[in-house]
Amino acid sequence: MLDGELMNELMMQISNLSKTFDVHHGGRTHEFTAVDNVSLSLYKGEVLGVVGESGSGKSTLARCAFGISQPTLGETLILGKSLVGKSVRATRELRSNLGFVFQDPSGSINPRMTVRDAIAEPLQLRSQDRKSIDVRVSFLLDRVGLAENQLRRKSHELSGGQCQRVAIARALSTNPKIVLLDEPTSSLDLSVQAQILNLLEELRRDFELTYLMISHNLDVISHLSDRVAVMKDGRIIELGTTREVIDSPQHPFTRELIRVYSGSETSHEIPADFNLDKWQDGPLNTWAFQHIPAFLPVRKISSSSRPLILSENLDPTLDEVKVGWDVNLRNVGDILKDLHTDSIVMLRSGEVVFEKYFNGMSKTSPHLLQSVSKSILGALYGKVVENGEINPSLTFSHYLPELVSSVYGGATIQQALDMTVSVAFSEDYSDPNSEMARLDEAIGWRTSVSGREIGLRNYLKTLTPNGEHGKFFQYCSANTDALAWLICEVTGRTYQDLISELIWQPMGASGSATISVDREGLSVGNGGISCTTRDLALFGQLLLLMGEQNGQQILPRNWVKQTFDGSSPEVISADYLQALHPGGSYKNQWWITNSAAREIYGVGIYGQYLWLDPSTDTVIAKLSSIPIPVDPTHSRMHVALFRALARINL
Amino acid sequence: MNVVLKVSDLAVDFCIGEKIVNSPLRGINLEIRSGETLGIVGETGCGKTLTATAIMGLLPASARPRGRIEFADRGSLEPSSMGSIRGSEITMIFQNPQSAFNPIFTIGSQMRLVAQKRNYAKSEIGSMLNERLSSVGLTDTKRILASYPHQLSGGMLQRCMIAMAMISSPKLLIADEPTTALDATIGDQVLNLIRDLQDREGFAMLFISHDVTAVAKVADYISVIYAGRVVENGPASAVMKSPQHPYTKGLLGAIPSASKPRGTLIAIPGSVPSVLNDVVGCSFAPRCNLATSTCAEEPPTLTVGQQSVTCWMVNS
Repeated sequence: MLDGELMNELMMQISNLSKTFDVHHGGRTHEFTAVDNVSLSLYKGEVLGVVGESGSGKSTLARCAFGISQPTLGETLILGKSLVGKSVRATRELRSNLGFVFQDPSGSINPRMTVRDAIAEPLQLRSQDRKSIDVRVSFLLDRVGLAENQLRRKSHELSGGQCQRVAIARALSTNPKIVLLDEPTSSLDLSVQAQILNLLEELRRDFELTYLMISHNLDVISHLSDRVAVMKDGRIIELGTTREVIDSPQHPFTRELIRVYSGSETSHEIPADFNLDKWQDGPLNTWAFQHIPAFLPVRKISSSSRPLILSENLDPTLDEVKVGWDVNLRNVGDILKDLHTDSIVMLRSGEVVFEKYFNGMSKTSPHLLQSVSKSILGALYGKVVENGEINPSLTFSHYLPELVSSVYGGATIQQALDMTVSVAFSEDYSDPNSEMARLDEAIGWRTSVSGREIGLRNYLKTLTPNGEHGKFFQYCSANTDALAWLICEVTGRTYQDLISELIWQPMGASGSATISVDREGLSVGNGGISCTTRDLALFGQLLLLMGEQNGQQILPRNWVKQTFDGSSPEVISADYLQALHPGGSYKNQWWITNSAAREIYGVGIYGQYLWLDPSTDTVIAKLSSIPIPVDPTHSRMHVALFRALARINL
Repeated sequence: MNVVLKVSDLAVDFCIGEKIVNSPLRGINLEIRSGETLGIVGETGCGKTLTATAIMGLLPASARPRGRIEFADRGSLEPSSMGSIRGSEITMIFQNPQSAFNPIFTIGSQMRLVAQKRNYAKSEIGSMLNERLSSVGLTDTKRILASYPHQLSGGMLQRCMIAMAMISSPKLLIADEPTTALDATIGDQVLNLIRDLQDREGFAMLFISHDVTAVAKVADYISVIYAGRVVENGPASAVMKSPQHPYTKGLLGAIPSASKPRGTLIAIPGSVPSVLNDVVGCSFAPRCNLATSTCAEEPPTLTVGQQSVTCWMVNS
């Protein structure tokens, strides 16, 4: 590492350097700018790394800076002196301060020369006597880790790593102060690359060298460099200390480069036709629901360090099960296709019996849950109510005075959990002027019409009452966002930490999961969770186990029981629910059917489901990308599908 | 799941004049099931590409392969039957897309040739090619089909090559360093594309690379090859997280990383041995810091957890 004193001595100053080439194409000539007005300073003892992809201009920049090519504009001062416009003879002394190591070691050593002659050649040009040359060559050979008996060999008798050691010895022969390393390890095997990187670091320290290092490989650059310059299209787009650039990259290209090298799995490559107002609809939603972090701000929900691995007992015949709805009888496999399924996982008695992935999904891909997220919030409340941290019969204004003049001023927390808050709110997903559309604008899920981008906090304050609370069921997504805000405010913890610590880690979730946040970092409780299908199924299983897993009571038994019991059916008046199963109800952010099986489920628009059938100990998690938000036919098909699967004897 | 490819004790001798040169492969054993990816990791000259060429039946005339290569339900593969399998049931993508295409024909004419070979009706070919190209993320299909290789970028050409390899809906795809010649960000896109295609089409894949990080991104299983022998094999996550063979440990330790703290890298001393040298016992012993006199004997293959490791110094 550098200390302040060394940093002060300027070794090389590149000022406003540009290099253009004439390109002949189809009988015409145009100018191609390889390096575009680049300025860089190189201080004594430092390693400055220039990283960029092929064609970014990094090698051209280095060649111009080191006087191998002439720049079109600008100049380089080496130890305060310029090379530009002077003859080779006049600048020989100055050039002896420069050393070069290139990518292909066998190509940079004359194949007819012995190792001894290759290293000695630069010295002979400076007319030293043979004896002192031999002493110097032996010394360098030893320093780069080669044995004396290799002096008589030629390059074809050496391995790639040995050749590069010879090239390094040759570069150091004239005792240079500044060395250019242009992709010094790119043609070497991994195990040899590490040797050469270690050697370069050792030599820099011992000989007080200054390196300008060029590479396409961010890992190699960041390993050796004190500062990093990122180059793209002939320009430096980012420059800073290695830690600054790696830890807080500013330019999108740098971020992408770091993501690729950090080995993170999901690609953030956004489809060309992506549109923030259309991503929830098909066909864009197939990609978008699996890649929320690529275009929305999210917070990570940490998974468990001791994951629970579900045992598998796959039944291949389930694909062929016949599902009856209306007058048709169809295969499960065909229905899954019709319902734009991205994934489905079915557990019977806690074992995976059916599991399918489509559209690029896999066991490890997270997928947006939409409003199934609400059911996870319901469980969080079960937990904090039991702890006594929140009293659900109090109004929002008791905990969040900020909301006192909104609809939530007079509504209780339990009323919001059961969706019986009476609010002037239209949950119409297709109307761009509905309150729902404005909620999407507030959280950044849709581009804002001017003046509307206000964040969740300000948006919730604008909602007004529409009648008496606690009387009628009214499904309103904003309720859940208010609940998510409140639980964070009261517990003093972030939403992602609450999910992770209270549910995800105790139950042994293993996949990656995120929660979407608004511009102020407030969580989108109404539908912003993405997780893997298996982890969602695991959460469903926890309810069937009455909150208890392996002897540990993760969710309160009473809360689970209360949820299964449902609320009084008369508060339900949502038409589409009534059409589906008359007498069904809604409790604690879960839907409860009125069938003998007493299934409960979470549901989200575009076909997201977590379906629990306690009568057969079955969990079905199904994530989809149906092109439109709500469709009664699709809803009926889903219920028919889940009942056919859940009620089959295995 | 059913085994698509099973390679047992594969070795390839070479006849140079009257002389038979030792096989650079010293008994390779591999197994790939449908829908799965086996990643082969190894350094220069360890025999990665020779293994692939032997499976494809593309060895030079001087080669004398030994051992068994079994494919899907066809049993043991013979050179005589390869004509009907190569390019249809087994397809391959190569490192350098620029040289894999013929520079004097358009992409379209080269792809149509493959489609005709695969008995597509003339009327279907156009729509099939459009579909294949859009499945690899290329939208401007008309322009691409009319282009010559030099008119497309490396990433686009590699996508075309993948689309071409998919024309026959192969059971096995062999990918030999498919991202090595590409820029890191483009290479990453190609890896994601290959994985998505595999999820959709369900082919088995043999993915060969010297780049451990690339292999870890796509492979379900990893076989580490050193000097012509599989020295470690197991589920990708297990091999990456808890490598057992001293060579695998060294290889993973030698990778510099932007996310790791700086400092001296753990380098494996020496370099990969020449395949022409006679090796007795463990070929890694000369570079191994655990080696003892026992290592002069043929090492046993032991099972550690889900991994199998060919080494004297590993406790099973």
